[in-house]
Amino acid sequence: MMLAALVQRLAQMLFVMFGISVLVFLIFFATPGSDPAARIAGKNAAPETLVAVRHDFGLDQPLPVQYAVMMKKLFVTHDLVSFVNRGLKVVPAIIEAAPVTLSLVFGAAVFWLIGGLAVGILAAAWRDGFVDRILMILSLTGVAIPVFWLGEMTNLLSQNRLHDTLLFSWVPALGYVSLHADPTGWFKALLLPWLTLSLGFIGIYGRVLRANIVETYQEDFIRTARAKGISETRVLLRHALRMSLVPFVTMFGLDFGALVGGGALVTEVIFGLNGVGKLTYDSLQSLDLPVIMASVMYASFFVVLANAIVDMTYAVLDPRTRSH
Amino acid sequence: MATEPAFGSAVPTLSDDSRARGPWTQALHRFSRDGSALAAALVLVVVVVASLLAPIYAGRIAGVDPFSSNLEGEITLAGENIPVLAPSTEGLGIGVIPIGPTWQLNTYFLGADEQGRDVLARLLYGGRATLFIGSASTAITLVLAAFVGICAGFFGGWIDRVLSRVLDILWAFPIYLLAISLSIVLLNSRIELGPLVIDSSSLIIPIIIIGVIYVPYVARPIRGQVLALRKSDFVTAAIGLGVPPHRILARDILPNVITTLIVFVPLMMALNIATETALSFLSLGVQSPGASWGTIIRDGQSLLYSRPWVSTAPGLVIIVTIVALNILGDGVRDAFDPRAKLRP
Amino acid sequence: MTASQVERERFVRGRSCIQPSLSIALVALGLFPGLSHAAENRADLMQAHRGGTVRVVAKSAGGTIDPQINYAPLYWSYYGGVYDGLVTFRKAGGTDSLTIVADLAEAMPSVENAGKTYVFKLRKGIKFSNGKDLTTDDVVASFQRIFKVSSPTSGTWYKDIVGADACLAKPADCTLDGGVVADKSKWTITINLTAPDGEFLDKLSMPHASILPAETVGKDVGIDPIPGTGPYAFESYDPNKALIWARNPHFKEWSVEAQPDGYADRFELRFGLTADAQVNAIINDQADVMFDQPPASRLAELGTRFPTQVHLDPQLAFWYLPLNVNLAPFDNLKARQALAHAIDLKAVVNFFGGRNLATPTCQILPPGMQGYKPFCLHTKDPGSKWTAPDLEKAKQLVDESGTKGQTVTILTEDGEISRNIGSYLQSVLNQIGYNANIKSISGNIHYGYIQNTSNKVQISVTQWYADYPAASDFLNVLLGCGSFREGSDSSPNISGFCDKDLQAQMDKALALGITDQAGELWAAIDQGMMKQVPLIPLFNPKQVTLVSKRMGNFQFSKATNTWAYTLGWVR
Repeated sequence: MMLAALVQRLAQMLFVMFGISVLVFLIFFATPGSDPAARIAGKNAAPETLVAVRHDFGLDQPLPVQYAVMMKKLFVTHDLVSFVNRGLKVVPAIIEAAPVTLSLVFGAAVFWLIGGLAVGILAAAWRDGFVDRILMILSLTGVAIPVFWLGEMTNLLSQNRLHDTLLFSWVPALGYVSLHADPTGWFKALLLPWLTLSLGFIGIYGRVLRANIVETYQEDFIRTARAKGISETRVLLRHALRMSLVPFVTMFGLDFGALVGGGALVTEVIFGLNGVGKLTYDSLQSLDLPVIMASVMYASFFVVLANAIVDMTYAVLDPRTRSH
Repeated sequence: MATEPAFGSAVPTLSDDSRARGPWTQALHRFSRDGSALAAALVLVVVVVASLLAPIYAGRIAGVDPFSSNLEGEITLAGENIPVLAPSTEGLGIGVIPIGPTWQLNTYFLGADEQGRDVLARLLYGGRATLFIGSASTAITLVLAAFVGICAGFFGGWIDRVLSRVLDILWAFPIYLLAISLSIVLLNSRIELGPLVIDSSSLIIPIIIIGVIYVPYVARPIRGQVLALRKSDFVTAAIGLGVPPHRILARDILPNVITTLIVFVPLMMALNIATETALSFLSLGVQSPGASWGTIIRDGQSLLYSRPWVSTAPGLVIIVTIVALNILGDGVRDAFDPRAKLRP
Repeated sequence: MTASQVERERFVRGRSCIQPSLSIALVALGLFPGLSHAAENRADLMQAHRGGTVRVVAKSAGGTIDPQINYAPLYWSYYGGVYDGLVTFRKAGGTDSLTIVADLAEAMPSVENAGKTYVFKLRKGIKFSNGKDLTTDDVVASFQRIFKVSSPTSGTWYKDIVGADACLAKPADCTLDGGVVADKSKWTITINLTAPDGEFLDKLSMPHASILPAETVGKDVGIDPIPGTGPYAFESYDPNKALIWARNPHFKEWSVEAQPDGYADRFELRFGLTADAQVNAIINDQADVMFDQPPASRLAELGTRFPTQVHLDPQLAFWYLPLNVNLAPFDNLKARQALAHAIDLKAVVNFFGGRNLATPTCQILPPGMQGYKPFCLHTKDPGSKWTAPDLEKAKQLVDESGTKGQTVTILTEDGEISRNIGSYLQSVLNQIGYNANIKSISGNIHYGYIQNTSNKVQISVTQWYADYPAASDFLNVLLGCGSFREGSDSSPNISGFCDKDLQAQMDKALALGITDQAGELWAAIDQGMMKQVPLIPLFNPKQVTLVSKRMGNFQFSKATNTWAYTLGWVR
């Protein structure tokens, strides 16, 4: 029973990824000017050269054949190469970019979990009071700030306007520093990107957590706990918070999956971090189909996986869904 | 594709049994007592009215045309003639800088952009486009999401499975690729749907793109809600009594879904305004010389280091609008669903 | 302030730091071009400045590292110190660079058989960076390889070599039999052409004609660098991180003019910073040179606060508006003339950074090019230069042309400057009676898109940079009948213009090579073209390079539009 559900879910995931890959492929070839032959061949290439290049890259084959070849190279032989940076093997490129994205997303996740918990708990503790209102307005503001705008402003201040002041003189050049080569440099290089990326999430998670805690307060077991004379702090932290963490954790799963899949694209581009998001961005900019395809497959894998995991944990954790 | 989902899953929590009779009057009553929601509504009214008054500001107060280049213009400030676009004369004498904020309402309050156009006037006009795109795409999202969500939730079975996977594909799809591709495809081919002609300068493109990409976001919770309703005692009883499905849909399901949709309106508006900004970076959306908050931010981006106000101002306006919409959203949700008011 | 004043300021600063003798400093600045490479001075300079690592930053990688295939400005800028051809443009700044000198060849070739045969004597004792000796076999194999890898210019630049036809038809079996002939005993290479080509030596100086080891694979090497003969060798290349090149241990300087030894030990070109971030990195001393041009909106800040770190160098290039002469309304001469009269070039120049960075132009050939004679046909008072727009005349011409009220769509790329020019153009077109709108698309697609006739582009904003300093590289490539290919993304004659008389004149001038007679002819062709306005020239840009405080002796080669980086130092 459990196994059957798992297999079914897996089949669904494969179907979704297949659908996405076909769509990406078709959209690419339906776009005028996307034919890579002329761009590969270079400016003012003679017609003979174009033909040779087209043949070399298999671009003169029927589309279904091209699709099959591309999928084979991507998933079976792992030797799919970029159209733009010829010779760049796409699969290793993504594997190499993944640590950058993981560093960014893990660090940001630490900030947003701590920040989200703090905001949610404090606001719930002083619910409907002054602190609550201020925190909620701040959270909303955090949510409302467009990430790219925040990133640009951060760079404007930390790299230019205030770079020579005490506040930002420690900020290193934009770009990634490998963790095992230089842990301090890694931390310094990523601190501002972490804060930038996590701000919006702190806002969302804080608000959601607060709402859930306050909702839990209406449940009978909390009333029972209070009636027993358990202290308010203890009620909040031991009982209400624990119950409220379920949606919090599932939300985290979804967001984390999307970000690891390259969703932190804007942050990576603005801070010059060569992660999966930056790879995706560059490939979209230059319409580099093999890289687009690989990064989209990679991203959709994480998104779909996170969806599936969250669905399943939800079914296990939430008695209400189970009863249906 | 979910890129830094600015709103994550801040889905309003509607409980299943909020099936009160005559919810509208009650909601209005509750809403009128909610101070912060009223304040947010007021802020939004100010934003909307200011946008609507854009022609009056541009024409009567500032006396500028925000849609044509003003490269040779000069203004008089404190008795001095200042060019709107000033070539640098110091150092190497390279670069041309547009005039910065004068903080005088009658002339270049927020300064000029690289075409010498008044940023404040464009900001006001931009509000019209942005708010229009935001509302129209919200309407599309909600209608489609309601349709998909109800079909999937009510009929279940293979319909549900197919629709759910389609939603999955849509959610994980790299929407920027579609956007880039569409922007190129539409350069010289127009899509004609009967009397409706879509070319690349049409606002319909960003509206449809934004409208469609968030369908999964709304359709999923609606599907869940309908699923729950479908299994509730009163619907099971109605089916048992032989009430035809369209009756059940109209009487029992739709009213509940509509309250959920209403709660989604401000949230989706906020989300869509943010997305409009992102699409503007891909030149998809309002075309030059028109303005939207997104295009002004993009124009201001190249001036970020010399005239930061050009992109800061629309950024702040967007933030204020989105915050207000969310507070309003909370107010609307509380008004429709007192249980979610979450008071101990 | 002019560029030369900047140079002088830099000189004063330089003296206070390292105090070289006056003559050395002047030599370093290129003020005595003839003496600039005098051996003893170079030795002193080498001692003073040798060593260090130069940090270069760029937005993104530039594609394959294969010098016979890559055709992007990024790596063309850096091939110069890694690879050599038989001949090359002199490694020097400014106009000094315009001379072609012998490189791997001992001397300039003897030209025989009415310009159809070139005989080169190969230098002895040169080694590739993998330690292997350079032989005539390597030269023959390299020429074959141009065709085997379908080099972008194989069918345009090198098509006149005997045997090239067969190679273009069947690249894999390319032999160039009778075209490129080695004589091992005499150590010579003879190249036979099917027709005289006045620009053949220019073409041999390009990276596509680099001499590579004979055993190099006959396909694109992608990201695996090929050994070269220059003072540096590529060490590693990862398009998502960096390209690194360092000293070639087997290099011995054979000609200071053709391939001088470099000062710096190592170059690191890192990818992934936006142009604004690159500027910040240099200001904050985190990088030494930025490859991309600083954004126009940063120029005033840079020119005021860091004048000594900004270098302005004239380029053999121009920005222009191709007008599609096969589509309404610009299939009408009067409509084209009208727009040419209406545009305020001063305003357009301001978008690029003002008059110190760009000079308005009304002609196709840039200043300094063979056949350049200044003229301006479409301005208030036609003469030798542009004065002011003439809107009245423009409106009158539109009326006469009968195209008034037609719709015009301007296609620009989404870069800041192009979009601004496009927006301005839109207001101008509306002003003179058209109904204009503007579309912008990604810069990566734009150039291919506007070339293809099936995309029906009426007017666009683009730019052209010379590959090598020859008039034909502008006139024949941009407006020759041969470079108009319908339905192809590779059709640099974007206007779709083809005039039989002018083409005949160009063919004649091409055969004459670099002679005064040819110069006269090119000047006449330039005028003849502009009478028909197949494109509207806007301005000749200057290259803006921002460098760090420690970067010394920055020289920009006019001939190749690249930084002569082997001459620069960071110590």
